[in-house]
Amino acid sequence: MSVIDVDTAAPPKRHRARPSALMLIGAVVLGLLVIVAVLAPVLASNDPKAISGPALEQPSARHWLGTDIPGRDIFSKLVYGARASLVVALIGGSIAMTGAIVVGVAPALLGGFADSVSARLVVFLLALPGLPLLILIGSLAGNNRLALTLVIGFVGAAPNARILRSQTLSLRQRGFITAARGCGGGPLYVLRRHLVPGLGPLIVVGFVNWAGVAIGLEAGLAFLGLGDPTGVSWGLMLNRALSQPGIYYSPMWTWWVLPAGLGIALAVLGFTFVGVGLEPNFNPRWLRAS
Amino acid sequence: MAEAPSASTRPHTSSTTTDAPEGGANILGDRRPRARGRHKGRRWLVQLGAYFATICALITINFLVPRMMPGNPVQALAAKGSTTFTFGQQGQVALERYYGLDRSLVSQFGHYLSQLAHGDLGWSIVTNAPVGDDLARRMPWTLLLIGTSLLLATALGLVAGVHSGWRRGRALDRGLLTVLLSVREFPTFLLGSLLLLLFAVKLGWLPISGAETAFSSLGPGGSILDIGRHLLLPALVLSVGLTAGSFLIMRAGMVNELGADYLLWGRAKGLRERRLKYNYAARNALLPVVSLTALQLGFVVTGDVLIERIFSYPGVGNLIFESINSRDYPAIQGAFLFVAVSVITVNALADVFYRRLDPRTSS
Repeated sequence: MSVIDVDTAAPPKRHRARPSALMLIGAVVLGLLVIVAVLAPVLASNDPKAISGPALEQPSARHWLGTDIPGRDIFSKLVYGARASLVVALIGGSIAMTGAIVVGVAPALLGGFADSVSARLVVFLLALPGLPLLILIGSLAGNNRLALTLVIGFVGAAPNARILRSQTLSLRQRGFITAARGCGGGPLYVLRRHLVPGLGPLIVVGFVNWAGVAIGLEAGLAFLGLGDPTGVSWGLMLNRALSQPGIYYSPMWTWWVLPAGLGIALAVLGFTFVGVGLEPNFNPRWLRAS
Repeated sequence: MAEAPSASTRPHTSSTTTDAPEGGANILGDRRPRARGRHKGRRWLVQLGAYFATICALITINFLVPRMMPGNPVQALAAKGSTTFTFGQQGQVALERYYGLDRSLVSQFGHYLSQLAHGDLGWSIVTNAPVGDDLARRMPWTLLLIGTSLLLATALGLVAGVHSGWRRGRALDRGLLTVLLSVREFPTFLLGSLLLLLFAVKLGWLPISGAETAFSSLGPGGSILDIGRHLLLPALVLSVGLTAGSFLIMRAGMVNELGADYLLWGRAKGLRERRLKYNYAARNALLPVVSLTALQLGFVVTGDVLIERIFSYPGVGNLIFESINSRDYPAIQGAFLFVAVSVITVNALADVFYRRLDPRTSS
């Protein structure tokens, strides 16, 4: 942190104050989600993919949240859905940030031709409308769940690349880096001592934010009917439930639509809260703005 | 999130270029100073070139992606579970020849380009009509929905952002910031489903689906009211995330203006707070919102597809959804190209407009 503040007139201050209530809530939600995902085989009462009873059964001791159309246990699907969402969040977030570093940070450090090419590339990628692209690729990729997750991550590379790039360029110009180079610090030294501390926090925040977005995007695509129809995810549950005509007019939505919807909402909000909580600590722009 | 304007507080960075997102190399912090006026004509050419290069890249993506994927559209048509699975082996070969899939990639690309040049976006397999016609028919509804949401969101975000930034750190500012940051990434389709359930199903205040009451003879006044009632809920849901976006930018802009000398001078002169807030600070902080509104178009399109599906709104988004469901590849491709080119064009126009609006960025 202090690295970023060196140039400003005020003496460097540590802004890493106590975590906000929002961040704590987010962390607790995410913790619960991880526990559910890890313990899914223990928590689930049935195989989420197996037909374990008559279709559209009401909640009972055997099926806590009833059954869906072919007769699969909704509660077990809910529990396993946490796994699907977390996997999408982790992969999507990692791909987005890796892409952002490759397109945003590296060329900005190298400068020259690579830099101007990557700058154009970022502008181009930013202009692409995300969901239509995902729909195009998703509809053609068919049941390939991994391909869809990779593309969700890929879509996140451009916006994050822009943030990282402007930070890299601004870091490069700072006096302390020139000073370090002038005193004989090699590129690796500057990278370790100045660039990693300067960029790391932004990368962490970007990862957390995009992990949340990835969950929402995956759920949205599944909701539209894209993705592996035999898979288990909250978005797919919603897709199935909402394609029942008049579901809102029967009590079914309370144990079919609501839990899956709440799952998605909690997962997304968990990541958002943690991201919002981290950002003022990490992002120099925010120190001034808030 | 778009770049918040950081220019005025950070004198080292080439100030004016950092706060104009989406404008070619310079927004990303190109540090080479440009001679004023001398290269103006060339800059325009570069911009125009970049725009057309983007369009070309889009067309190429649209052409290549389906062909790089495993399988081909004809196999998909014949796949079990698709609506058209009845094609046999012979039918598949005939279809491949019909769609030109048996020819070389280069010749296919040439054919595709000449089709596009004639304004032909493809022929929908399901509706058996030109994709372009289907799109044109759905377009007005989508424009109505997106336009209303953008207007609503920008207005709300501006008002909230001006207040929040002017009185930053107060309870209202903290509350607004927390709420809007939290809802920014909240899945639109979930919010839409919940509101639909509450207001249309449980309370029965608003219509459940569609854009107007079918076969109604309400007269002109009644029709407008009817369309408005159908529009209210989808537009509201769509504008939630957008409001957060313009709020954050406007707030950051206001905060940046707070310490400015001209405000001190205005205060010393005895100007009222209201005047300082709206006529002075807000006017200066307004600029980034313009480019953000255009940037947000990509975001709106994402929400639009999902919202139209939930509310069965008869726009382009729902067309895309229907095409997915029936695996109508020409329709999906045509719609993608149309939407992507529209978004990029609006962004390019906003960039030009932005330069006009802010004389600092044109240097």
